[in-house]
Amino acid sequence: MNHDSIIRQPLVVGGKTPTDVTADISRPILNKPSTSWRVGFVISFIFLLLLVWTIGYTVWTGIGVWNINKSVMWGWDITNFVFWVGIGHAGTLISAILLLFRQKWRMSINRSAEAMTIFAVMCAAIFPVFHMGRVWVAYWALPLPNSFGSLWANFQSPLLWDVFAISTYFSVSLLFWYLGLIPDIATIRDKIKTKAGKFWYRVFSMGWTGSTRTWARYEVVSLILAGLSTPLVLSVHTIVSTDFATSLVPGWHTTIFPPYFVAGAIFSGFGMVLTLLIVARKVMNYENYITIGHLEAMAKVVMLTGTMVGMAYITEFFVAWYSGVEYEQYAFINRATGPYWWAYWSMMFCNLVSPQVFWFKWARTTPWFIFMISIVVNVGMWFERFVIIVTSLHRDYLPSSWVMYSASWTEIGIFLGTFGLFFTCFFLFSKFLPVINMSELKTILKNRE
Amino acid sequence: MGIIDKNVMLRNRGKMLLGVYEDEEKVMAAAKELTGHGIPVLDVYTPYPLHGLDRIIGIKRTNLTVIAFICGLTGFSLAALMIWYMNVHDWPMNVGNKPLIFATSWIPVMFESTVLLTAFGMAFFFFWRNRLAHGIEPELLDDRQTDDRMVVVVEAGNVNEQEVLSIYRKTGAVELRERLNGTQKVVG
Repeated sequence: MNHDSIIRQPLVVGGKTPTDVTADISRPILNKPSTSWRVGFVISFIFLLLLVWTIGYTVWTGIGVWNINKSVMWGWDITNFVFWVGIGHAGTLISAILLLFRQKWRMSINRSAEAMTIFAVMCAAIFPVFHMGRVWVAYWALPLPNSFGSLWANFQSPLLWDVFAISTYFSVSLLFWYLGLIPDIATIRDKIKTKAGKFWYRVFSMGWTGSTRTWARYEVVSLILAGLSTPLVLSVHTIVSTDFATSLVPGWHTTIFPPYFVAGAIFSGFGMVLTLLIVARKVMNYENYITIGHLEAMAKVVMLTGTMVGMAYITEFFVAWYSGVEYEQYAFINRATGPYWWAYWSMMFCNLVSPQVFWFKWARTTPWFIFMISIVVNVGMWFERFVIIVTSLHRDYLPSSWVMYSASWTEIGIFLGTFGLFFTCFFLFSKFLPVINMSELKTILKNRE
Repeated sequence: MGIIDKNVMLRNRGKMLLGVYEDEEKVMAAAKELTGHGIPVLDVYTPYPLHGLDRIIGIKRTNLTVIAFICGLTGFSLAALMIWYMNVHDWPMNVGNKPLIFATSWIPVMFESTVLLTAFGMAFFFFWRNRLAHGIEPELLDDRQTDDRMVVVVEAGNVNEQEVLSIYRKTGAVELRERLNGTQKVVG
């Protein structure tokens, strides 16, 4: 019935047994935090305070402290929103789509990628909410009775779709993540010695015992959730792209946006997963669990999606020419050769050119090199959103309203602050929850196919 | 309510015979051997899912898929009803002269609402059926059953106890125990 694969590399190396897996993965939780953890946490927390300060300043003084104006009404805020939502795509992609495709290498990385998804969506949500200006009436975006105004929400608006898409994505990802965590929380519950630990892990393990009856249903629920999350993850960035595509702004009004945005989201998501995991596997000594094979598989995804995104950039240019629409043509010429040419060519280099190094096996299997490329990918994907948003807006149909836009220090502070929020959450996660899915990983230790 | 699966509960049961294992293949062999001899296996507690074990010990396939479908249908209909009420019935809104009813623009919200209700409805029934809730005291048979040990449970009563114990022994159990009213005794 079971046999060892002679073709495939084992997914976990070092001859680990279930006992080793529990011991290795729960070590950071059961022991005192390391010095590197403390230093990292403090730095992240300082940036989180910067977020609190800059957002407080924005709300207290008014949205005028941002440099957005009547032409560039979306600047760094929506750039950062799309950037973070994009990063939030890898987690659910890894756990849902790779589960449906039976890609077992996902098991070492899905937990941390899902956590990343949740934190990234939290960071993303900050931007549109505070961009509203009067954030205390943000609930008007919800479909509430019209005593709050004279109208209901307009369901023809992609901005409202976004409210539904992002909140559904966040809730379902959180549920999926938590469901996967329950058996592992139970493992920690039965290992931890402190009184507070015993209490909290008992509360969140929901009385899990590992009964085969529960496991059988659990697997069905996971499979259905994966089946649901797959179209969900594709829908979220599709809907984000319709925020732009349904408008009449040259450079935005294109039908290629949904697939192009989804590919970009997967690309940037895997970029961030690589950035985090290459550091985490080293610092937490998880090299036997997150192997070079895992990094290589992710590098291949980065190369594929990077090429798809690059293809979309070129297609957009072609269609602008082929359509014969002079406004569309001008928008693209202006992107590549106008005042924001540096952003455009940074994007082209980071997203289309740099991932091509992964054609070489050395590049795909050398952690420090993959790390460098993953940073380049993150930067490139930020520039992509900046290019789409700012270069399309700063020169519209009416030349008298042409302007230049650069972020104010408050906008920069909020963006840096969201990194603080993201990493603070990630550090807390790596201290209090198992970073690798123990119960799933134990099923593949014997390298069965 | 009848939703909770009584088989996942261990309290209010008579004497139980436990075989503790440290190898998944031995557990599968034990389960096959027991059911082959006509001895019903109450449950097997494992730290990770053993694929195929549920069918060996005769667990029926769950109906959660049906519940998921019903929840999904509810989400879909509720969203359609909500949009119809708000944008068509109560305050008709003409946006660019687009059709009011079942415009394609309804699809995203209806889709998201379908996914949301399916996921949470199904999870809710999953927790309920398996008696999982925050803060519940787990009924553990071995403090390593969530780590690296597996426990096969057979209810004593209508079975030949010696036969059960000998099958446990033959298939490589590391410990045999009896459990009565929450207290355990090692018997081999």
